[in-house]
Amino acid sequence: MATTTRTDNAALFAILSSLADNKQAVGRRYAYWCNGAPALEAAVAAAAMTQDELGHARTLYPLLDNFTQAEADPTQIEPETRTLNYALTYLDNDFSGWSDFVATNFLLDTALTTFFEAAQESSYEPLRQRARKIVHEERIHQMHGEGWVRRLANAGGAVRAALVASLQRLWDETLCWFGPNDDQTMQQLYQEGILDATPDELRSRYLQKIMPILNSLDIDVPVSFDAATKQWHVNAPLPWSSWEAVGRRLE
Amino acid sequence: MSTSEQTSDVQGTRSRREALNENRVWHVYARRKYDEPLHEIGNVMADDVELAKVYARSIYDEFSWIEMVIIPRETIVTVIES
Repeated sequence: MATTTRTDNAALFAILSSLADNKQAVGRRYAYWCNGAPALEAAVAAAAMTQDELGHARTLYPLLDNFTQAEADPTQIEPETRTLNYALTYLDNDFSGWSDFVATNFLLDTALTTFFEAAQESSYEPLRQRARKIVHEERIHQMHGEGWVRRLANAGGAVRAALVASLQRLWDETLCWFGPNDDQTMQQLYQEGILDATPDELRSRYLQKIMPILNSLDIDVPVSFDAATKQWHVNAPLPWSSWEAVGRRLE
Repeated sequence: MSTSEQTSDVQGTRSRREALNENRVWHVYARRKYDEPLHEIGNVMADDVELAKVYARSIYDEFSWIEMVIIPRETIVTVIES
């Protein structure tokens, strides 16, 4: 009988669970739009991105079995039997329209990619390997998200209004996903070299990626630009009182 | 729903659709080997060049291309008309 040596790391187990649940949920939400996108080309792209997201989830869930924390309830490490949900609350319900797809693609998917970029030199080899592949595949998702944000914003009227509403609904929860800067889980990963950034640094890297697009389109979000440091900063408090640290989601 | 509401709803749907209508056609060229030339494999419609690149990659993904380019239809100059 083969014996398995499991790693005891609650922080890494928690983050991998959240990443896998979010990828799985994003993939399932994207899947609804494989034949409902505004154009045939966009539908094919949605199908390709669905496959990618579900594929990322499929490479992350098996990692959970390598941890001592999986022994408490083995049913929670299989996506088919898992009852816990560490994906964003925003993903609990069907998208109300294409603008929700675009907001998820542009905001949430980019946030998760920011995490994987910070894990490309991870001290935890299985994450390092997966992070590099995911970052590579996500480049085209980012192009798609940015392209559609530009399209919907420039269309004006009700189309632009729907996009802005979708972005606003997802905004706080996406920024919260990185955790407060003293988040024990993320701080432990940073100290163990599993990640190369703290929550505040991850949030900052994320804002530098998305803000040039939002700013160029005059989409108003609670972020300001510091001319001295040439960095974007959140200028409104995030709703930490309703953020649930275990599930990394808003209640 | 009244007739006027239905009419405005139809107009709203139509204007949204028109607002998102893609007008630019891009011809997609690709090749699988270094010793073969680029050849046309299809086209995509997108007003945004970045979206056109995404669409070309996701629609024409049947082979591991070593090179793929897209060319806007309006830049093509006809020499001999068919």
